[in-house]
Amino acid sequence: MRPRALPTFAALLGTLTLAACSGGGTTAQAPKADAAATPEFSGTLSILTKFAGDPTGPYFENLAAAYTKQHPQVKFELIQETDQSVKDKLKTLTASDALPDIYFTWTGNWADNYIRGGRAADLTAVIGPDTEWGKTFSPGSLAAFARDGKNYGIPLYGNGKFMGYSKSAFDKAGVAVPKTFEELIAACGPLRKAGYEPIAFGNKDGWPALHYLQQLFAYNVPDATLQADFDPATAKLDDPGYVTALTQFKTLVDQCTDTREGTNGVLYSSAQEAFAGGKAAMYYQEILEFDNATSDKVKPDDFGIFQLPVPQNAPGDGAVLEGSPEGYLINAKSPRVALAVDFMKFATSLENAKTLSAPPYGQPSTVVGAVTEDTSSKAVFEGVQLVNKAPKLAIWLDTVTVPEVADAWLAGGEALISGGSTPDKVLESVRQASNSAK
Amino acid sequence: MRATLRRTLGLAWVVPALVLVGVFVYLPLVQNLQFSTLKWDIYSGAQEYVGLGNYTKLVEDPVFWSSLGNNVLYAAVSIVFQVFGALLLAALIEGVRSERWQRALRAIYFIPSAISLTVAGLLFYFIYEPNLGPLNHALRATGLGELAQAWLGQESTAMSSIIAMSQWQGFGYSTLLFAVAIQRIPAEIYGAAAIDGVGAVGRFFRITVPLVREMTGLMAIVTLSGAFQVFNEVMVMTAGGPNNSTQVLGTWLYRSGFVRNNFGYAAAIATVLFVITLGVAVAQLWVTRRRRVEW
Repeated sequence: MRPRALPTFAALLGTLTLAACSGGGTTAQAPKADAAATPEFSGTLSILTKFAGDPTGPYFENLAAAYTKQHPQVKFELIQETDQSVKDKLKTLTASDALPDIYFTWTGNWADNYIRGGRAADLTAVIGPDTEWGKTFSPGSLAAFARDGKNYGIPLYGNGKFMGYSKSAFDKAGVAVPKTFEELIAACGPLRKAGYEPIAFGNKDGWPALHYLQQLFAYNVPDATLQADFDPATAKLDDPGYVTALTQFKTLVDQCTDTREGTNGVLYSSAQEAFAGGKAAMYYQEILEFDNATSDKVKPDDFGIFQLPVPQNAPGDGAVLEGSPEGYLINAKSPRVALAVDFMKFATSLENAKTLSAPPYGQPSTVVGAVTEDTSSKAVFEGVQLVNKAPKLAIWLDTVTVPEVADAWLAGGEALISGGSTPDKVLESVRQASNSAK
Repeated sequence: MRATLRRTLGLAWVVPALVLVGVFVYLPLVQNLQFSTLKWDIYSGAQEYVGLGNYTKLVEDPVFWSSLGNNVLYAAVSIVFQVFGALLLAALIEGVRSERWQRALRAIYFIPSAISLTVAGLLFYFIYEPNLGPLNHALRATGLGELAQAWLGQESTAMSSIIAMSQWQGFGYSTLLFAVAIQRIPAEIYGAAAIDGVGAVGRFFRITVPLVREMTGLMAIVTLSGAFQVFNEVMVMTAGGPNNSTQVLGTWLYRSGFVRNNFGYAAAIATVLFVITLGVAVAQLWVTRRRRVEW
């Protein structure tokens, strides 16, 4: 028996190897989906959202229930993920060619990957700027998901980054809303004396630092240079503005946070709680967080926002605001593209958009007229006005460029905070990552 | 003839298990090896053969080497605590005369092992938290405030903080297994040694250590291969940060694939990880077989 066992095992392994090797190659080209076709109101529509947990969790659940009421033959498979877990889920589903019918996306390189890979249905015929549905969205948000004259994404909500502050803390410390970055740093001393942590900051996940950096890059580096540097093919990353921005960021961490070099050990949600609990005077946050930032301690009337102030003599564009819409793509390979379009039309109807924009969700819809002083909280309304007024939005650093470069910025931000690296060294490591990503 | 038929029929019973093991264990291994030779764009599905390109890149990747270094550190500390330390503790517990106390002590040490690694990681994340964590509070309350720091937020302390948590979690399990091995040693041997005037230390080194060497070998295998497969606690507590200082091979593999979209490179790391753990297991099994204790 023994002499035969080895050849049998070898044959089995050989067969397995051949089977494995034949699994390579490329996936089949996606069939051209007809987004404008009349939907067949039956079957199960699968949706991957970024709305898991409170307070956003029930939004899509309620939408699905309401849609099923109108179309009883349509069922839903709702996959709800968090901001962190949706990234892994999407990549796993993409690699295994099992994307749902509708799935969440950020803008920038993130959405580009799906469009370039033929996984996002061309929705130009139904959501192009001249279409009936397209006209219901703010043009900027629609354009954020457009490539080469074609529209692929459905923007659900707009987002922007602002410094949220407690008006009473500022009054107690005797400081005014800073007009320059230098004034912001100068305000930290009096705020600390008044008993507050000047700026609550938690960078355990790495991306909160990137949000500061991206806004400071926009202020310190000319826009054309920045855009070229986001693409490894054209990147040089030699503008002195980067080092200036990195130095400014380090100054802010050292002088305005209590955790200083230990900030990497703090969750962003802990920082959010420190602000909402009245312990910190400021917290740099997205519009999506505004309704969570207010509490018994920081009442909505006490909550104010301002754009991260521009450093003096900054050579970049001081009017650029960091932010970006977030939305959904429809799987180009889905057999239910038309039904998916119909559901997303329902999701972005003015009524549902108003619900999304109002507390407790507080996600400012990109649908024109959804965010008003009546439907949204005061801060959300103000934030959306400022986003709409901004001549240009700076997309999040971790989604605007390729992942290898974003990852180098992330590690660099952490190293800068902990004192493990200098601005020059951080820039050099990013340059290396960009070169290897070419 | 009948014997041959019986043997053939016997083999037929094994076929379903062989197929399952082949499909779910060996096929992914072979596929992983294949993926490690590819540059794979998961979005378009395009796969470009790059030969050993991913392995060449690995050799030049400083994070890969620091990850490997962290795994080695993890393994070294685990061997000290979870093999030798646990053996010593088990011997001490088994030396306690009261059986009730023995049981209580075993339970006390084992309880952390009953907690999942993810939960333990989260628990320690909050213990280490610089502002609200009880560790810094305790240090400040006892006049050691100067030692209070962001344990997981600094490159200098993050890895050792994770390893410390991991030892806390795994120590009791190893101790319990050693306790079982010590209980199997016939009491007459200890009795004879006591009559001969051999002290507690002498009994430990001359009787306990040699007679539990099979368990020691087994624990060394489990601890070493576990140290190279570590993932959960690092992911929960630091995700490899800050500045990649706590990356281990498992988390760097994950980051390369799922964050940096480089699945071929991740597969190359997985292959290296597989070779290391296979090598450790084969070597330890060989050593253990030679050291089997019979009585």
